[in-house]
Amino acid sequence: MKLTEGFLEGVAAAAVDDGLVDAYYATVTTALGKLLVIETPQGVCRVGFEEEDPDALLANVALRVGPRIVRAKGATSEARDALEAYLSGEQNALELPVDLALAPSTFGRSVLAGLAAVPRGTVTTYASLAASIGCPGAARAVGTALGRNPVPIVIPCHRVVPGGGGVGGYAGGAARKELLLRLEGYAQGPTPSRGS
Amino acid sequence: MGVSIEQKTRKKAQLPPFWSLVEAHGSELLAHARRLAGDDAEDVVQEALLKALRSYPRLAHGEHLRAWLYRVTTTTAFDLGARARRATALPAPSPEPAQVFADEVAPFEKLIEPLSPALKETLELRFVEDLRYEEIGRRLGCNEVAARQRVSSALRALRRRMT
Repeated sequence: MKLTEGFLEGVAAAAVDDGLVDAYYATVTTALGKLLVIETPQGVCRVGFEEEDPDALLANVALRVGPRIVRAKGATSEARDALEAYLSGEQNALELPVDLALAPSTFGRSVLAGLAAVPRGTVTTYASLAASIGCPGAARAVGTALGRNPVPIVIPCHRVVPGGGGVGGYAGGAARKELLLRLEGYAQGPTPSRGS
Repeated sequence: MGVSIEQKTRKKAQLPPFWSLVEAHGSELLAHARRLAGDDAEDVVQEALLKALRSYPRLAHGEHLRAWLYRVTTTTAFDLGARARRATALPAPSPEPAQVFADEVAPFEKLIEPLSPALKETLELRFVEDLRYEEIGRRLGCNEVAARQRVSSALRALRRRMT
């Protein structure tokens, strides 16, 4: 005797409709592999790559946001469809509401907010992003804050590269970062000006 | 680039994500509900899970969660059973259809009278015709999931009117 997918989805949808949940989640298969999308009623709060342990991701959301978490395909469909369309190149814009409840610090949030000024198809460096948010010299701290971006892809931390060349680190691995930059039309590889 | 945010925040014991409980214990709760409520087992589990979700954040600690879910399911089954018995408490052992209509259907129709035609139809399919969700979906032109949602929101609308 087993609960069917339809039954579980119905319960989850009723729970979301009734405002009984802190967060809801589902996975989506994209060009970057399977992604776990976790949302609160405010917006997407976590995007996890398939190497990340989903139980750990969800446990962290339970701790930081609240434990009333359900798996709901319907409630997450807008975000999942948008990610899939963006990563397949079908859509050039990815505009989704985000909830930065999991961003570790105020500094981290201002670093992520600074990315709004880095449009698709361009990159910036850790040092210039640090300078642009009024913290010149904080390149390393900026790198750390980007590494803890709870909503990669949606908040484009992949558009930040080292001043010395190469694509630099990425929570989802350098290969995914390169793929994202290529997808966004940044094909020539990063060539930021010397000394930045 | 540094530790992930998950590693950073590991601390004291806490309540696990609710759905991990549903995945771990959902099937045994359904079996339990089946023993208590027979064919109404899925309704019992649905209502029990929503009830559990409502009180989940108020639990003092994350222990004995399986036992707690069993308890919620048991009380829900009894509540629904008592409600159903009240609704079907009839004087005659084998009532005439007209009598059934007068005793059960007519009061129900009166109860749902103020609702919109769409909500009324949904509730009638579920509680007068006593159809399974799959069939309700067929009649309403939607799938089983949507049928469950419609019944649940129609019930919510009815509850709002009654309180």
